[in-house]
Amino acid sequence: MVLASSEAVVRLPDDVDLHARPAAQFVRTAMRFGATVQVFANDRWADAKSLLAVMALGARRGTELRLSAEGQDADVALDALATCVADLVE
Amino acid sequence: MVGVVVVSHSAEIARGVVDMASQMAGDEVRLESAGGDSLGTLGTDEGLVREAIRRADQGDGVVVLADLGSAVLTIRHILEHGDGVVKLADAPVVEGAVAAAVVASMGLPLEDVVNGAEEARGASKL
Repeated sequence: MVLASSEAVVRLPDDVDLHARPAAQFVRTAMRFGATVQVFANDRWADAKSLLAVMALGARRGTELRLSAEGQDADVALDALATCVADLVE
Repeated sequence: MVGVVVVSHSAEIARGVVDMASQMAGDEVRLESAGGDSLGTLGTDEGLVREAIRRADQGDGVVVLADLGSAVLTIRHILEHGDGVVKLADAPVVEGAVAAAVVASMGLPLEDVVNGAEEARGASKL
């Protein structure tokens, strides 16, 4: 069976850095899905389910995040993460 | 849901770490602190630690984070006669507790919560 894979680019809101609380929201959203999800920013990548790795990306407000997901629910995972990022508040 | 206990020589440190973890993981996860000794001074009290573990235990296991020395020794002593549903994570307290709480808050099993905490050992900040 070929695993479904999916990619998306989302942008952090203009007033939200991906610091502790927003990163926790992002990671908790990723954890709802079976798909493995990687997030790329600033020429680095992190496991989207690892809070400390996501925080270490140091992604500042307005940064583009490239999301890459693999697994049966890859598409829905990325939809949920895109919504999560768009709705992040400081 | 897996519970998380923070043990520190300092009651303020233990409470503060629980506050931080709670703010990031939400209200649902059971986070408990056991800081200082029974006199309210710096130290570790086995009874306080056991009580905190009991409060955190909802039947899915408990992960314990500890700071140094006697805090670690006290928990190891408690766990010697345990039944495996309480685990001491080999991880730094702040990062480990926050990561563990976030994993626990999503209803993931004990092993995942321990792993979440222990990833903190190798996590770079920059």
